Amino acid sequence: MTGLARAGAMKPLLYALLGAYSLVVVLPFFWMFAASFKTTREIFADPFGWPDAPSLDNYARAWEQGIGGYFLNSLLVTVATVVLIIGLSGIAAYGFARLKFRGRALLYTLIIAGYAVPIHTVLVPLYEMLDAAGMLDSYAGLVLPYVAFGIPFSIILLYAFLLEFPKELEEAARLDGCNRWQTIRHVVAPLSLPGLSSVAIFSGVFTWNEFLLGLLILSSDGLKTLPVGLVAFQGAYASDWGALMAGVVLATVPLLVLYMVMQKHFVRSLAGLGK
Amino acid sequence: MSGVSLRGVGKAYGDTRVVEGLDLDVNPGEFCVFVGPSGCGKSTILRMIAGLESVTEGSISIGGRDVTRVDAAKRGVAMVFQNYALYPHMSVARNMGFALKMAKRPQDEIDARVAAVAETLQISPFLDRRPADLSGGQRQRVAIGRALVRDPEVFLFDEPLSNLDAALRGQTRVEIARLHARLGATMIYVTHDQVEAMTLADRIVVFEAGKVRQVGSPMALYAKPANLFVAGFIGSPGMNVLPGHAEAGRVTVQGVTLDAGVPDGPVTLGVRGEELALCAPGAAPLTGRIVLIERLGGQSLTHMELPDGTMMIAQSSGNTDLAEGETAGIDLAASPRHLFDARGERIGD
Repeated sequence: MTGLARAGAMKPLLYALLGAYSLVVVLPFFWMFAASFKTTREIFADPFGWPDAPSLDNYARAWEQGIGGYFLNSLLVTVATVVLIIGLSGIAAYGFARLKFRGRALLYTLIIAGYAVPIHTVLVPLYEMLDAAGMLDSYAGLVLPYVAFGIPFSIILLYAFLLEFPKELEEAARLDGCNRWQTIRHVVAPLSLPGLSSVAIFSGVFTWNEFLLGLLILSSDGLKTLPVGLVAFQGAYASDWGALMAGVVLATVPLLVLYMVMQKHFVRSLAGLGK
Repeated sequence: MSGVSLRGVGKAYGDTRVVEGLDLDVNPGEFCVFVGPSGCGKSTILRMIAGLESVTEGSISIGGRDVTRVDAAKRGVAMVFQNYALYPHMSVARNMGFALKMAKRPQDEIDARVAAVAETLQISPFLDRRPADLSGGQRQRVAIGRALVRDPEVFLFDEPLSNLDAALRGQTRVEIARLHARLGATMIYVTHDQVEAMTLADRIVVFEAGKVRQVGSPMALYAKPANLFVAGFIGSPGMNVLPGHAEAGRVTVQGVTLDAGVPDGPVTLGVRGEELALCAPGAAPLTGRIVLIERLGGQSLTHMELPDGTMMIAQSSGNTDLAEGETAGIDLAASPRHLFDARGERIGD
């Protein structure tokens, strides 16, 4: 059997496997989405069915319990984190990719080592540091650790991207009268959108979904982010599963929009990482 | 129009010296071609003139102004890159006007100059397109246009035709030559293609391993190569070379003795392919077996193997009557010849 014929024979099997995998991925989303329109009784009586009379009551209850505020807090923290990560790691990655300086390899190794530190191992010292700095229960106390944890991977990703960036374009910009900053602004940054989009998606998703640090650092209800705020929907003896699912749906929508807007750049950037 | 002067220019990367003690003057309005094999340092020299590469030693002047430490943008040079280096996210018009925009020129002036240059290069219909929507030849014109819009003192070309197919390369070569004739601007052009060098240059500078091997007009280099390297590099096919020995005013090559007023010692005889006199087998002391004939239409290249295995190429116009497998006589005495000493330097006229 030739390679082509073998590939043809494998096709149905491949489709079956991918179909099954897609089902595994999509089913929880469907369950979450359907449950957000069901009563608590329907959720348990018919877990995988579509509600007989879809209702927005769960969304109304979630809104009454302050999910709008949690949403805004998450948005603020995520935007601030992503902007800082893109700005700092972009400049750092450009420096690693283009500038020759003593200790460059060591510094890069340290940054990679930073990526290997699990967040759970530094929770106690981090808490102590934020307490000493008076930053507990504040946006800054959450954003700065998020930025610190997000920067290593972002630098690695952007460094790989910038290594492939054609130097001639930067040289042409120099001859056209650009200084280093103008070259970055007019040429490098606009053409690095795939890499920057990937960083935005990775760090945005991490920050939006992060729960543990949020729970540790935030105590005021007015500052809580979505994942921390949604915990209040679960009680010790009874949980409002309908409102919880409505909250989770609302929490998922921005990520889906972010991915859909940037998926072209995202996929291209990840494909480039393998070069 | 400004000339370019290099005085004792050298470039080293760590302990590796790629250019050494280079002295060169490119005259105002001259079309000067730097030619040499890959890795000979010609692009590095061009990039040092552009200001894209630092100078390890020596100085560079443009129009009498020392620019050795001057920023690339302030040297008054424009460069056409091998890969065009057009900004992919900008339209053709924005690409061409970008330098003027960075110089904070009024938009009206930018538009007018871009339009005028686009008209000259016949790229006006593409001004709103992105580089990705253009063919290789069109991109090359835009790259040249971008240089023209800046109205620089010196144009620098870094192997600008190497990404084009053969037909387009020939056509663009002619356009660049006509552009130079019209502008009369100083142009420095780097190539490894000796045909480009011969057809475009007022003066050719031949480089080998970071050093100048000969400077001169194309025909001067062709007619009187200063050394074996230039003899082999300029001309297509390269010059045929045969090792020999000189003694008492006579040179012996492949068992053939020829009159030559050169000092005693080892010599190398060089004969251009088109100057090689072929004759009937036996009519000359040297014969070669024809192993291959390249019939190119306008000319034929006859590859011959001498009895000791040395290969020679004879070039003749039109089709040849010879055939592969035959033998031909080679009349070295009747062939105009070049002689080089043991160091490969030209001796005699």
